[in-house]
Order: sequence, then C-alpha cells, then structure tokens
Amino acid sequence: MNVIVVAELDPRTRRRRLLRKRFLRRPVAVAGLVVVLFFVVVAIFAPWVAPHSSAFTDFNHTLAKPGSRYLLGTDELGHDELSRIIWGARSSMLVGVLATLLAMVIAVPIGMVAGYYRGWTDTVIARATDVLLSFPFVILAVGLAAILGPSLLNATLAIGIGSIPGFIRIARGETLARREEDYVPAAIANGATDRTIIFRHILPNMTSTLLVQATLTIPQAIIGEAVLSFLGLGVQPPQTSWGVMLQDAQSYTSQAPRLAVFPGIALVLVVLAFNVFGDGLRDILDPRTTR
Amino acid sequence: MLEVSDLSVRFDTDDGPVHAVDRMSLTLAPGEVLGVVGESGCGKSVTCMSFVRLLPETAHVTGRVLFEGRDLLTLSARELRRIRGREISYVFQEPMSSLNPVFTVGRQVGEVLQRHLGLSRAAARSRTIELLRLVRIPAAERRLDEYPHQLSGGMRQRVMIAIAIACDPKVLVADEPTTALDVTIQAGILDLMRDIRERLGTAIVLITHNLGVVADVADRVVVMYAGRKAEEAPVPELFAHPQHPYTIGLLGAVPRPYEGEGTRERLQEIPGRVPSLHELPQACAFADRCPRADEVTRSQIPQLREVRPSHFVACFHPGPG
Repeated sequence: MNVIVVAELDPRTRRRRLLRKRFLRRPVAVAGLVVVLFFVVVAIFAPWVAPHSSAFTDFNHTLAKPGSRYLLGTDELGHDELSRIIWGARSSMLVGVLATLLAMVIAVPIGMVAGYYRGWTDTVIARATDVLLSFPFVILAVGLAAILGPSLLNATLAIGIGSIPGFIRIARGETLARREEDYVPAAIANGATDRTIIFRHILPNMTSTLLVQATLTIPQAIIGEAVLSFLGLGVQPPQTSWGVMLQDAQSYTSQAPRLAVFPGIALVLVVLAFNVFGDGLRDILDPRTTR
Repeated sequence: MLEVSDLSVRFDTDDGPVHAVDRMSLTLAPGEVLGVVGESGCGKSVTCMSFVRLLPETAHVTGRVLFEGRDLLTLSARELRRIRGREISYVFQEPMSSLNPVFTVGRQVGEVLQRHLGLSRAAARSRTIELLRLVRIPAAERRLDEYPHQLSGGMRQRVMIAIAIACDPKVLVADEPTTALDVTIQAGILDLMRDIRERLGTAIVLITHNLGVVADVADRVVVMYAGRKAEEAPVPELFAHPQHPYTIGLLGAVPRPYEGEGTRERLQEIPGRVPSLHELPQACAFADRCPRADEVTRSQIPQLREVRPSHFVACFHPGPG
C-alpha cells in the first residue's frame, strides 16, 4: 500500500524555500549577490587578503606596470594598486552600510508617524521631504560633508542624512497603505496604543519594502562616498578609498590610465551588483510574482 | 449595563454633512443577545462603533453611552483603551483580513492577553490554547503556530472571536460576523455565539441584515432604518406581530425554502430606495416607500411608542400587514 506522507513544514521554512527557489531562477540577481558577497568578504578580511598595508610604499617601483611583483601595478608613490583596492572596498562597504542604516533608523519612524497620523504632521513632514528630494543627492551630501569637515565618519553622516528623504517617502507611503488594512481597526478595537499599531502591526508588514530600498540605497551611498573622497571630503590618508584613488589617478591619465581604470571597475562592479541584487529581491518579494 | 441614549452621529464629508445616526437609543442587559437589523447604510454599524469611539475623526458623536455608570463618550483615550477589547470587544465582518498576516494566530491572541491582563508570554500561550479550544478550533496546540493565511475563513473568524473573548468582556459586539462566510460555517459561528453567552455570560450585540440570524440567536431585536430606530421588540413578539411596515417588508423578503405543496410564493421586495442621509427629513424616513404614508407621515417625525407589551414602534400607522 502506498501512503503518501505530506511532510508538514513550518510556514517560515516553506516561505523561505519558495523565495530561494524564485531567487535561484534569476541568474543576474544571483550573480549580483555573489559579487556583493565577494566584496563584503574582501572588505572584512582586508588585513589578511591584501598583500600590503594601505600605507605601504615602494619608492623603487613607482608607476610600475601590472606584473608578478605587483599584480595590478603601483601608483606614482609606489602604493600597491591591488592592496589599495582591497582596503578601499572597506571604506566603500562601511560607508555604504552604515549610512544606509543611519538613514533607516532616523527616517522610518518619521515616515511612519507622518503616514499614520496624517493631518498637519504629515503635511509638514511630506513637504519638507519633497524640498530635500528636490536637491540632487550628491549635492546634498557634498554640502553636508563640507559643513562637517572631511573624515570617513563625517562622510558617513553626510551620506546617511542625504539618504533620509528617500526613506521617509517610502516609509510614509507604505504606512498610508497599511493603515487602511482591516487588522489596524481590529487592533484599535482591542485596545492597542498607537505605538503598538505602528511598530508591532504596521512595521513588520513593510520589512520587505524597506529591505529592497536598503539594497538600492547602499550602492548610492557607495557612489556618494567615492564622490566625497574624490573631492577630498571623505577618507583621509593613510586610509584609502576608490574615490581617493580616482582623484590621485587624475594627474597620470595619459601615462598610466590603469590607475583610474582599476578602482573604476571595482566601483562599477559593486554598484551594479547591489542594484541587480536589489532588483531581484524586489521581484521575488513582490506577492504578484508567480515565477 | 450598557445604555445608549440620544446617540447621533454626523460625518462631515466634502459633499456636506451626512447624518448616519439620529437620536438612537439602546439598552443591553448582562447576558442578553440584542439583534440590530437593517439595510446597508442604516447606521447599525456606526451606532455600535461609536460605543468605544472607533469611528474616524470626521465623525461627530453626540449623546450618551453609559457603560456601568460611566459615559464612554467623555472618557480619555487612555481610559478607553482599557475598555476596548477588555470590557467591550468587537468581531468584524472581514475574517480574511482582520488578522495581521505576518504574525502567528497564537501571538495575536496572546498580544491581547499580555496587554490587558498582564500575562507572561508562557501564561498567555497556555491561555490561548484554552481559548482556541473554547472557540472549537481543532488541534489548537498546532494551530497556535500557524499564520492566518493557512486558516480558512471560518477558522479565522473563530480566531477573531477568541481574541474578542480573551479578556472575558462584558459586551461583545459582533458586526455581521457571518456575512463573509459559507452558510454551513455560519451556523457553526452562530452556535458558538450562543455557547459564549451561555458559558461566559457575555452580553452580545449582533449586527446583521439577516433576520434569520436574529431569529436564531437573539433575545431582542432593534430594527433600524435611515439612522433611526423603527421598531424594537423581543424576538418571538417581533416575528409574530411585526408592526412597522418596514419590518413587515423585511420579513416578506426573507426566503422560506419549501414549506410544503404550493406555498412557494414570490419574495416581496420593498419598493424604492433608502433616502440620502444628507439632510434629516422632518418626516418619517420611510414615508416615500411606505404603502401607509399620508400627510401626517410626511410632515412629522414619528416618536417611539409602546403598542404592545415591550414592543416599541416609531410609526403613525402601526399594525400587522
């Protein structure tokens, strides 16, 4: 006799499996994730991965061509290009992730309060957000960094603050939609406070949207960091970053264009990887997706 | 226990004010099941939502809602939250969407217990299992850890009822609790309502447009029309001797499947439409649809009067059809 045993799966496990299956069906997104993970690992283990420290200089081999001694060559001061790109990944990832977290922590409660209470609170917050959004992100970040002064921490703050308006808008829009769902009046009828409703009922329902927004904000923040460093408003020596490398490479574009090309490739690769990964994430988390 | 008097609700909309409820009065005794009947938009839900001020801010509520000697309409938001879900709780029409999709049902029942009774997580969990058993959910210990989307509509409505009775409230307001469910499941839910009243002594306000449901579980009925009370009587009395032409019309519109040879009559509809609630007519609101309407009907508002023992009607020409 054949007995078909239907294994009862925990719903969380089942959903996770479904999402994994959907994700694996998107090769571009998978590639994005692989590249992102690669750079994250490299950034975390930079001291062990990088052949040399970021301050290392070999004055006997300045502007060396890529070869066996220095895989990607050296710059005008004898810095090892490969090592600098690895150390630069650290700055990029750190700023990208921290600035995004900072923006989320500040913006999400503000956006949710605006969307939940509506009325004049919402009008003030939403209009202020619109004003901030009308400035290009980079201009906002550069302006803030110029006020705060050049350092990696200040660059993070500037980029984080610059990313706040986008998150406010997302959180507000999601809250506006969620508060109309039937479980909100049901919770009110059961004596829930506004705080309970906002953070325990509405917030968990918008995590996937926020997650997607975060994966799309991180690359933006990485570019922001590169811009600030390029302009001298970010990382200070001996620390390095891809933006600093691009800046240094400027004077040697005719002699050694590779000095700009290598960090440029790293930057493009990371940003692109985050974007395609975020797009894939958005697709699989969209409940209308069937594939 | 619950005494609503002269309750009026006005919504200020872009098209001007809408008078959803006009000088409505209700009483509810402990352990009583009161049926509130009427067409969509007659103000039955609005009346009951205003008990603990669940209406949006655009609603202007006047009158008094006395609950155990306190006027709920004057309480602070904090005091109201202690009553909502603990003393007076609600079951809504949409079981499919009234549960939060991202939490297990056990957590949602437990949340109320933790909030109102201050139970620990573990105590709330074991109490939740008891509650789920009480609302007759099979395999309650397993269902506890399931998500709303894994349950059928009937099961979800049972969970909603479990949440509503979790703190042993004195009043349970059930707003069309069976409308969204299959007929076979409806019977089970109504049976559960009766059971809750008997076992817990909870007074129930049952809002419905289905007179069959009222006949099944209610002790007393209030018939509403256009924001006003049309008729009020104990259930057997109302069904045996309906007085208001509107009630008679409603009864005529209830399908009676097959009562023997040759008795399959056409269902009677009530001609005309519910009046717009933008202005309160200084007349009987039902006049335009009423076969008994005359000059008096069109110029005065009928007052509620007792035409038979504990049978009240707001009509100038009451009487059996």
